[in-house]
Amino acid sequence: MASAYLTHQQKVLRLYKKSLRHLESWCIFRDKYRFYACLLRARFDENKGEKDMVKATMMLKSGEEEFWANQHPQPYIFPDSPGGTSYERYECYKVPEWVLDHWHPSEKAMYPDYFSKREQWKKLRMQKRSTSLL
Amino acid sequence: MAARVLQQCVRSFARPSLRLCSGNLAVRAAAAPTAALHRPLSFAADSRRTRWLGQSRTPSVGVLCRQYGDLPPLTLETIKDRVLYVLKLYDKINPEKLQTTSHFMKDLGLDSLDQVEIIMAMEDEFGFEIPDAEAEKLMTPEEIVQYIADKKDVYE
Repeated sequence: MASAYLTHQQKVLRLYKKSLRHLESWCIFRDKYRFYACLLRARFDENKGEKDMVKATMMLKSGEEEFWANQHPQPYIFPDSPGGTSYERYECYKVPEWVLDHWHPSEKAMYPDYFSKREQWKKLRMQKRSTSLL
Repeated sequence: MAARVLQQCVRSFARPSLRLCSGNLAVRAAAAPTAALHRPLSFAADSRRTRWLGQSRTPSVGVLCRQYGDLPPLTLETIKDRVLYVLKLYDKINPEKLQTTSHFMKDLGLDSLDQVEIIMAMEDEFGFEIPDAEAEKLMTPEEIVQYIADKKDVYE
């Protein structure tokens, strides 16, 4: 993302994704979920070609309000994502990446494949950092 | 008497541990010798069960370290196979035309809503969420495989 503002397309796609996830939390049986997901997709598809941005923004706003009214109180959240059970669980055990440079050569000899390519990888990363805009 | 039984224990456990160490040097060396060393100590206490000594099976390569309640390790190959399998199940994609480098929008003629559905299927397959900011940039199966390998630290 270059700027902090989302484009209309991005907003619509995010609404679609979160509404599908909440629908999945409501319809726990897979075939029932599939049926209602197809209906939801048809609703998104019929208004897909709207060229008038004012009308499209109004539709997006009403869609967001409908989502807010129909959301699930305890939606399924993946364990590793924010709000999930395993979010940041192993964060205290993660070691920063530069520690690998401080290993003893006898320890480095235990993983020869990785360390032989590590210098190349670091160079690539420096190049990427200097050329990317972020 | 107890010393002789202990010697038999150590010798018969040294034999399979030699086999393990010589065959698989590439695997994490720390786990195997310590596991082999600790076994005679624990079996010295139960020296009555001498029949068990010769029957330790040589486990396969990936199982030399202890496995707690975790999934089998991911490799780039398995990630690619799973991604392509899920894509072939999607009915808007023609399975013959699917390659790892085929772009969803340009080659396969899919929509942005279809791409969202594909990313959701990948999230369901691999069990972790792909945030929206990064999901909208994944446009080929190759990129999806690389992203998953990045997140899961597979042959980085």
